[in-house]
Amino acid sequence: MSKASLTKIEKGQSFSVNEEVDKYRAIYYAGASGDFNPIHIDPEFGKMVGLGGTILHGLCSLGFVAKTVTDWAGDPGKLKKIKCRFASPVHIGDNLSIQAEISEVKGNRGCLDIKVTRDDNTEVLKNVYAEVEI
Amino acid sequence: MSIDTKFIGKTWPKLTYEAGKEKIKEYAKAIKNHDPYYIDDEFAKKSKYGTIVAPPTFAVVYGAQLIEPIFFDNELNLNLAMLVHGEQEFEFYDMVKAGDVLTSEAKIMNIENKEKLDVISIELLTQNQSGNDVCRGIYTFVVRK
Repeated sequence: MSKASLTKIEKGQSFSVNEEVDKYRAIYYAGASGDFNPIHIDPEFGKMVGLGGTILHGLCSLGFVAKTVTDWAGDPGKLKKIKCRFASPVHIGDNLSIQAEISEVKGNRGCLDIKVTRDDNTEVLKNVYAEVEI
Repeated sequence: MSIDTKFIGKTWPKLTYEAGKEKIKEYAKAIKNHDPYYIDDEFAKKSKYGTIVAPPTFAVVYGAQLIEPIFFDNELNLNLAMLVHGEQEFEFYDMVKAGDVLTSEAKIMNIENKEKLDVISIELLTQNQSGNDVCRGIYTFVVRK
């Protein structure tokens, strides 16, 4: 298996990916990350605290965003910076839309502004920003 | 009760974490990332890294062990029932390769007291066994009052 590597980055380039939050995603993520907060794995607890069920770990959503960028860049070592604000919960069964655009090229860095929304168009992450090495 | 700003600058003892190959694969699959750099031994061996590497956001796995003592620090006394993860930022330097021994330390970077909530930012710095920087993570938590 070989992978293509990114050779050219220009302002205005864009790409997008959809990511489905399948039924057991938060369970897998809890196991891998060690974050077993009941809001992520126990629907009854999630309802009791007003979340309407379990919600996905914010850092799992950020993991999806990082994946979108590194898949596009072709080499995980090219991702140099990523940040976000956790704005709204992601529920099990949601579909996330991740849309990225090169907002600027600074030296050997491509700067990406990224929009992450769920089905109802709510932005679940805000101020999502990443830098990749060119 | 507000978080006392005198704790800005507080540090905790350094901790080490060995990045195991199978743990990296497990984490990659959990974030639905089947990139061969993380899960395909043969591909990884022939890649420029020469072995399995960790997804950049694997930083949350080796970072978690530092966050826990802060959450349960008696002196800081965070109200965990009112705490949510507000923001996250990572800067990545050297890639984490399977078998790397990572040393991280945590420091309170900032505490802001607002009317209805406090904001606390924690900086995690990680180096590998060669002394090279691997990651700088800034974890920002919001604690409602």
